[in-house]
Amino acid sequence: MRVELALFASLRRYLPEGETGHERTIDLPDGTTVGQVIAMLGLPDEPRVVFVNGRHAPDDHVLRDGDRLAVFPPVAGG
Amino acid sequence: MIAVALSESERVRRRLRDARVGIVGLGGLGSNVAWMLVRAGVGALVLADHDVVDASNLDRQFYFLDQIGLPKTEALASNLRRIRPDVQLDLHRVRVSRENLPHLFAGCDVVVEAVDAASEKAAVIEGCCDALPETPLVAASGIAGAGSANSIVTRRLGEKVWLCGDAETPADGHALVASRVAAAAAHQAHMVVRILLGDPEP
Repeated sequence: MRVELALFASLRRYLPEGETGHERTIDLPDGTTVGQVIAMLGLPDEPRVVFVNGRHAPDDHVLRDGDRLAVFPPVAGG
Repeated sequence: MIAVALSESERVRRRLRDARVGIVGLGGLGSNVAWMLVRAGVGALVLADHDVVDASNLDRQFYFLDQIGLPKTEALASNLRRIRPDVQLDLHRVRVSRENLPHLFAGCDVVVEAVDAASEKAAVIEGCCDALPETPLVAASGIAGAGSANSIVTRRLGEKVWLCGDAETPADGHALVASRVAAAAAHQAHMVVRILLGDPEP
């Protein structure tokens, strides 16, 4: 299956090689979870918020063909 | 009876007057978002913060020297009522968590995330998305430093989530400068106003 992956801010450097920008289309085995993609990309163990198709999704969420997975790392300051 | 079409300014005034907005965290972002919303005419605010006013807050937060040591909820309420005595304020002197968030902010038309620590921001954003999925959330990230104010922008992050800031500059290692923090707070307050008026584009 194919999933649109968007990594924001400091996470952009963990994107697979490709053109510039913060989004890529990636091929994944059926049944892959959000947590498995995060592990595969080697994202650091820092605060992050995950959205699938614009809605918050937990790490055990199973992705489906055509999904848009976006990961955003909030930084301190309030 | 004669039907009278509402003028645009009257439509805006009524919509904001009837709105209820929640603010999580009353520091540099939250205290400034609060006064902007009160001046804009928002009728009711739900304000939550566990902290007291510290001398170090006065460089950017909406408090005064004689309020040091007061709970932020109490000090902010008193300052907001000096602007508009009839504003409805629901005060909660608590640290907001995933557990108490739904109870505190159910019934708000929009919620503003304005906490400090990155982990707490993630928890508030996720908690709000999970417990109040239909409530718009305006969050902030990347407000520190003396970088260009023009890099502070509002983005739409999810269906019901907006994010204000440069998304990158953390407060650890960078100063919190009043003017840049206020720019981010103004972005948040204005996005709240736009959402309330039915225009969700940043």
